Amino acid sequence: MNKSHYLQSHWRFHSIGALFFLMGVAVFVQLVRIQLSPQADVFRKQGDLYAGTWRTVYPPRGQIYDRWGNLLAGNKIVYQIGVELNHVTDPEGIAFAMMAVLDEDYENMLAIASQEPSPTAVFAVLTDFVPPEKVLQLQQLAQQVGQPDDANPSIRSLEGLVYIPHLQRSYPERDLAANVLGFVSMEGRGYFGVEEKYNQLLAGAPEEVWVPQDPYQVATITDIPPGASLILTIDREIQSMVEEILDQAVEENGAEAGTIAIMDPNNGEILAMATTPRLDLNEYWKYSQIIEGSTPFNPAVSKAYEPGSVFKIFTMAAALDAGAVEPDTPFLDTGQIEIGGAIIRNWNGGAWGPQDMVTCLQYSLNVCLAWVAQQLGPKDFYAYMLDFGFGHTTGVDIAGEVTGRLKTPGDPDWYPADLGTNSFGQGVSVTPTQMLMAASALANEGRMMTPHILRALVDNGTQYETPPQLSKVVLSAETARTITLMLARSLENEASAALVPGYRLAGKTGTAEIPTPYGYTSSATNASFVGWGPVDDPQFIVYVWFEKPTSSPWGSEVAAPVFRDVVERLVMYLNIPPDNPQSASLGR
Amino acid sequence: MIGLFSLALVMVGLVAGIYLNVTARAATAGRKIQEMQTQILQLQRTNADLETQLALLTSVRSMEQRAVALGYRPVDPGQVLYLPVPGYAGRQEAVLASPPGPAVASAPDLPPEFTETLVDWLQDLILSQPVPGVGRGGAP
Repeated sequence: MNKSHYLQSHWRFHSIGALFFLMGVAVFVQLVRIQLSPQADVFRKQGDLYAGTWRTVYPPRGQIYDRWGNLLAGNKIVYQIGVELNHVTDPEGIAFAMMAVLDEDYENMLAIASQEPSPTAVFAVLTDFVPPEKVLQLQQLAQQVGQPDDANPSIRSLEGLVYIPHLQRSYPERDLAANVLGFVSMEGRGYFGVEEKYNQLLAGAPEEVWVPQDPYQVATITDIPPGASLILTIDREIQSMVEEILDQAVEENGAEAGTIAIMDPNNGEILAMATTPRLDLNEYWKYSQIIEGSTPFNPAVSKAYEPGSVFKIFTMAAALDAGAVEPDTPFLDTGQIEIGGAIIRNWNGGAWGPQDMVTCLQYSLNVCLAWVAQQLGPKDFYAYMLDFGFGHTTGVDIAGEVTGRLKTPGDPDWYPADLGTNSFGQGVSVTPTQMLMAASALANEGRMMTPHILRALVDNGTQYETPPQLSKVVLSAETARTITLMLARSLENEASAALVPGYRLAGKTGTAEIPTPYGYTSSATNASFVGWGPVDDPQFIVYVWFEKPTSSPWGSEVAAPVFRDVVERLVMYLNIPPDNPQSASLGR
Repeated sequence: MIGLFSLALVMVGLVAGIYLNVTARAATAGRKIQEMQTQILQLQRTNADLETQLALLTSVRSMEQRAVALGYRPVDPGQVLYLPVPGYAGRQEAVLASPPGPAVASAPDLPPEFTETLVDWLQDLILSQPVPGVGRGGAP
């Protein structure tokens, strides 16, 4: 290489080097200029738009179990079907496929799939809550497109169709305990029953989460804990048994509706609560077809009515506790009594002659019980009735509880005559749950327990038990035992249809006329029975109520046999051996 | 001169290569985490769905139908024989999780060697050196 050639090459190298250096400097200057320019913020914001997305994460809704861990309310996979608008090539094909597989409206689907994509609209929802088998059909359809065996040549492409899985509430037992559970709407909100009462706990807390596109930042995605799960006091087998008996009895007796509720008087746990009509919770949108008019979803807590003669047990218990009467206090029934200017007569209008307090209950004598209330006096009578919980909610943890009505002296619509009528359950309205709670005082040595449906709560891997709650000590233990024995004797003397061979039970029938705007002018009745047992150590209270039975108006003929049917099977589920095995075998 | 320049170039290239390698591995790990998070969500959904399907198969009505198909029938109350068994506590109610226990401080996931900074380490080292005349017990 000669010198001139070397100098020429050297000059070229330096020139190229200088050029690259200047380019580098220019790039650097431009970088600094953009960073410091007024548009820098705009560019940063544009960049942030693509750095990730905000997503609302809804935690899986907590599950609901019965007391033995059987699932009553769970979750199942369903799909949201939508279109990514910038990938859609054949909107007509998509609309046709949605119509063919999901029976969707073609024009509506076409309108959605034909939308022009824009920076703010890149995705559109076609439908939601689609079951997996339908999604599989759509996917198979998409695979067949363009194949020689394509059954739908009108579909050119299903490109852009996306399937997004999510969870939906599901009730594997369908209508079992429907009135207790309630349901969850498509928006994820609980309605009625436990689903509404514990909606916040079950739903958990949805969180807005930033999902970055930058893989270095993925660790910042937080873990959203699921909603709390609930274990109820309900026993699935007992609930099923009670519903079966109730449905059959409502039909046989031609009743408008019926309710049977069972509670453990020792702790207030509700073992079963059955009502008619019931809804398959997986098809809750049929609500208005099945539960018509003003009928509440769960009459056991939401429907107040005049109980009639079952109420007499509380009048008698109050009088015994206050010392106003004793079991053998004599009473001469002349067939009528005047209280507050109103004449009160017996259910058959007859005079029953010499009686004592046991036979007053046995024959359900209105005149006698009105006299007992008179002996007690309005002040003590209403004080006891308020203590029993009438006129206010029990606090049961089921949505929609109503208070009923107990007029008391001082209320503008209370009259002295009300003392007489209230004593035998007229002019007072109660719910079945109130009756259960009040009866628990009689069955549990005077200690009235708050009814409850939640046995335990499982949250974040820990199970929290619900302790039983004592509502009030209403009576002395001695009074409670006395009234229980009086009711047992009255059932035995009467050879009631409620008796179960081998088991000593206490209970009382009720037949209440249904008031109309013009008074007690209707022949329709509320037939009911409340009972508990075994008398020596009560383990259950059963309340039976039929609305407007047509087979017979009497609680003794409609409700008492149903009480027996329930108890006969209930003692087997609860493993309660007979008090008297010999009579049990003879009775059968 | 050329040698030094080449050395600097090699060093820069080496550092750039190591940096690229580390960042690429971090990015891959990040993507794997994202995939696993998606997989966890899918598995949670599948678990919930399977539990519900199982409950459907073992629902009261299904079990009754299966029992009847197998030739069983509801027991008559008169046929039940009660046999007291001393010490038998009966059927146990559902326990789906452990009861709340005393609060226990959770152990750190990683030992300090993996989490402390160089400054923390130096600080600990300096502070852990015994100072003469301080902290020595005993009678004078």
